[in-house]
Amino acid sequence: MPDFPEAAAWTVYFAPLSAFVVVAALLRDRPREAGRLVVAAIGVAWLLSLWALAVVMDHDGEAIGFGAHHWMTVADFEFDVRICLDGLTAVMLVVVTSVALLVQVYSTEYMHGDGGYARYFAYMGLFTSSMLGLVLAGNLLQLFVFWELVGLSSYLLVGFWFDRPAAAAAAKKAFIVTRFGDFGFLLGLLLIWSKTGELDIATINEEAELLSSAVLAGFMLGLFAGAVGKSAQFPLHIWLPDAMEGPTPVSALIHAATMVAAGVYLLARFFPALEAAPAEVHTIVAYTGGLTALIAATMGIAATDIKRVLAYSTISQLGYMVLALGLGGYVAAVFHLFTHAFFKALLFLGAGSVNHATGTFDMREMGGLRTAMPITFVTFVLGALSLAGFPLTSGFWSKDEILLDAWNHDRVLFLVAAGVAFMTALYMTRAVVLTFLGEYRGGAPSAHGSLPNGSAHAPHESPLAMWASLAILAVPAILIGWTNVGGGFGELIEGALPEALRHGKPDTQAVVVVTGTLAALLGIGAGLALYLARQPASDAVRAWLGPLPRIVEQKYYMDTLAEDILVRRVLYGGAGRALELIDTYVIDGVVNGVGRAARLGGDALRRSTVGQQQAYSSLLLAGVVVAVVVLLVVSGNVLER
Amino acid sequence: MLTTFLLLPLAGVLMIAFLPRTREHEAKWIALFVSALACALSLAIFVRFDRDAAGYQFVDRFEWIRAADAGFSVQYIVGVDGLSAPLVLLLGVLSLAAVLVSFNVTFRAREYFAWLLVLETAVAGVFTSLDLIQFFLFWELELLPMYLLISVWGSGRREYSAMKFLLYTISGSALMLVGFLVLGLAAGTFDIEQLTAQPPSDTLLPLQAVFWFVIAAFLVKLPIVPLHTWLPDAHTDAPTAVSVMLAGVLLKMGGYGILRIALPVLPEQAHDARVLLAALAAISVFYGAVLTLRQRDLKRLIAYSSVSHMGYVLLGVAAMGSVALSGAALQMVTHGLITGLLFIMVGLIYDRAHTREIAELSGLMHQMPLIGAATVVAGLAALGLPGLAGFVAEITVFLGALEAHPAATILAVFGVVLAAGYVLWAVQRVFMGARNERWSALPDFDAWWERAAVAGMLVLVLVVGVYPRVLSDVVAQGVAPLAAMLAGPAA
Repeated sequence: MPDFPEAAAWTVYFAPLSAFVVVAALLRDRPREAGRLVVAAIGVAWLLSLWALAVVMDHDGEAIGFGAHHWMTVADFEFDVRICLDGLTAVMLVVVTSVALLVQVYSTEYMHGDGGYARYFAYMGLFTSSMLGLVLAGNLLQLFVFWELVGLSSYLLVGFWFDRPAAAAAAKKAFIVTRFGDFGFLLGLLLIWSKTGELDIATINEEAELLSSAVLAGFMLGLFAGAVGKSAQFPLHIWLPDAMEGPTPVSALIHAATMVAAGVYLLARFFPALEAAPAEVHTIVAYTGGLTALIAATMGIAATDIKRVLAYSTISQLGYMVLALGLGGYVAAVFHLFTHAFFKALLFLGAGSVNHATGTFDMREMGGLRTAMPITFVTFVLGALSLAGFPLTSGFWSKDEILLDAWNHDRVLFLVAAGVAFMTALYMTRAVVLTFLGEYRGGAPSAHGSLPNGSAHAPHESPLAMWASLAILAVPAILIGWTNVGGGFGELIEGALPEALRHGKPDTQAVVVVTGTLAALLGIGAGLALYLARQPASDAVRAWLGPLPRIVEQKYYMDTLAEDILVRRVLYGGAGRALELIDTYVIDGVVNGVGRAARLGGDALRRSTVGQQQAYSSLLLAGVVVAVVVLLVVSGNVLER
Repeated sequence: MLTTFLLLPLAGVLMIAFLPRTREHEAKWIALFVSALACALSLAIFVRFDRDAAGYQFVDRFEWIRAADAGFSVQYIVGVDGLSAPLVLLLGVLSLAAVLVSFNVTFRAREYFAWLLVLETAVAGVFTSLDLIQFFLFWELELLPMYLLISVWGSGRREYSAMKFLLYTISGSALMLVGFLVLGLAAGTFDIEQLTAQPPSDTLLPLQAVFWFVIAAFLVKLPIVPLHTWLPDAHTDAPTAVSVMLAGVLLKMGGYGILRIALPVLPEQAHDARVLLAALAAISVFYGAVLTLRQRDLKRLIAYSSVSHMGYVLLGVAAMGSVALSGAALQMVTHGLITGLLFIMVGLIYDRAHTREIAELSGLMHQMPLIGAATVVAGLAALGLPGLAGFVAEITVFLGALEAHPAATILAVFGVVLAAGYVLWAVQRVFMGARNERWSALPDFDAWWERAAVAGMLVLVLVVGVYPRVLSDVVAQGVAPLAAMLAGPAA
């Protein structure tokens, strides 16, 4: 097979970007064409990505060398852009383009009739190209550029329905909260450049061991801060649930399958550097992931909005991946990213389909949809089983690898991960029960508002483009986990690592498999027992748990802490008010005081002057002349001496 | 060529002066013609500037006062290098844009456009003068049109603001003049090139004091906290075009003065002052950004954000390495483009809604999708989004400054987070939200000159952001000798 031409790699990036440009410039008033163009462009990128994957598999996952392109020089700072294409990138390309393609096809119907249809597809084109640019980047600054651009696309799409105050606020929150993480990312980038003069990712990874441990730790923690923001890890996870205000296909693509995984991708991309970093860094990473997985799972049990359940679940599963990376589980983390992208995108699209039928995301208004929406029901259940880790589904295999890494390295985190697995199965069962089983509770125009064509009457199955996307996505959602049962997936992505870090597939441990299976089955069983019986059982459990449910429902008061206390009280009301007082009364007070004193002096002088501008000007001029003369005389004396 | 660039606006002033009062409305066409010509000329200078040749180019020289007996001479000398050529282009572009967005000015239009053109000449003189006395004269010349433009055509407390601007600047320039005279008399020349080659040593005042005298005027102009309170007032009460010029090019006179005079003539003293300068820079960035968060008037908001963003220029200066200095030079140009554009956008909103109170505006995206989109792009550029001009400059400053001033740089980088806060907060309040019936009659872009000014600026912001070499290669020519000079005292 011929090698992959660099032009094709660039086309993967430029195809969706040009679709964005064309739609934004020319097709704003022609929505049908806009939608088709973006779908076609992503289709091109998808085909090229499959080709890239085939070529990279031929290379056993090792990088295909592309040269650097000089972009900018500022004195000692040279910025070269380079394409990185190895097993890790190829897998990401296929994930991004596959999910993006299906989501766009789905969107042609889901967004049908929306006034901003063309704008929606333009933004989606921008997002897809930026995400592809991110995974193709071979230079850290290049990666950072796309990192910010996916953040922008996310901002634009979360705030897509900008006339809704909640959406506008959520978009802003998402961007600003992730910027706190980017602050760390940027500092890491600055640090590594000022210590090494290098931004090429491959070079940094190769030479990481030569760095002092403090620099390397600072660098990796900086990148990790970026990942914490982007991948919604504690304590910066607070933006992701709010981001559900965006259209549901956006949540599926950006806030489940791809962009939120970028933080995990970033750490995986720098895995050799991470491995070389001091143990404390690993501990911070792993425990942040574990803590995130745990608290997000509890919030998933409490949420009543189906999209928020899925959002907390996403946070929780991303925590799993981060936990794995902290424990050195490169393959496990990327593999879980891979399977999660498919089943979580499927679940979100299913939630969108349900919303399309009922006009709400509130599960308390749903129920009984299994008969009216059989395809949505079946595919959603398949996705839920996979997420819950039901034996032999995709999620089972990838979760098993993370549990295995945890068992081998840190038993505390193993217990956490097992507990999270149980809770995951529990809240997904709850979601399925509340949404699809029992009796239909009528639907309602939800707080997010329903689409113009979303009907509050008798629910029915979604149109062809939507259910077909669900059906297609269900296949990888349930089956793609088999790619690493023989270790093939792991070998492919380990091609991106140096020889010393390629470990192959670790041996299965019976205790891990049993724990994972039991957690999933117990969670499903508990969910059925609690929620099929409905009110009495869950109320009893609630009462038994005391104040805990309330704390969880208040999201552990993290939003209150961040928005009301830190931003409004400390920053705006505290520091801002204090500086404003200084500005008004101290600095300007002095200025005005000087001015007033001058005016009083001037009043005294006015009796001897005409009080006109010209007079003051001549005085000023005279003063300058006097100063010059004095200086000339004085300096003349100095010179003579 | 540079002399032509200097005189061209004055020729326009002359033409306007001979315009009968009955044909007052034609003044804007003369101003447009002249500023378009000047813009084309500035572009020609920028394009024909030889990036590989060292030293000043397009030099015109003319001896003015020769007093060899007294050991000094005053001469007319203009020239550009990689530091000033981009600023000359920026001036050409922004002056044209300022004329365009003034097309709806009818009150005393002849004088208005005449003063606008005088302003262009004055700033052009600052950016091209290679003699201290000449530099000072142009520096002072700029005050007259600014004072009048704000106090006559402004709004609100315009006279207070104009006078505040005047007094702040004059206080600074008085110190600057003393510094210049001490330097020039000690060296026997006011020629910047000669002063740079042989910095004077035996001076009337200690050189460290002279350095602070000279830089004081520049710090006022940038402006740097705590010398900044004139800026929000001047901006708020100035007409749109004057805000564009003020933020776009006048603030750059401060940064340029530091790079052209304070650093090269007094490199050792600058080096000794670097920690204090870095501290001032970081304070400006942070203080400016926090206060920006609290502003309720769109113009004041952008004004305080300028205080914050010009802090990056000083941070680049304080780091004194070649990367950081390049960043400072780039930041001046990109901030000029971005903030100029932002003031144009606010002007367009104000022309329609007759208010700039953020609390009163909402949902404007419904009425003005294109103005909204352009404002959002300008705002994103201001918060340092990659792909737009601001990012290139900021990242260059940060890269260059971290090693020299880690604490100040970290604080400055945090300014980027705050920038996201105030930009997106304002965008949300003004443009997003439900349709507001009060604004239902407001039009989107409705005049060709509005579209032309905004489109031109947007293109530049995008071009510099995507392909920064158009700028960075020129800047490098100017920074290289300066960085070499500053590396001396460090070693």
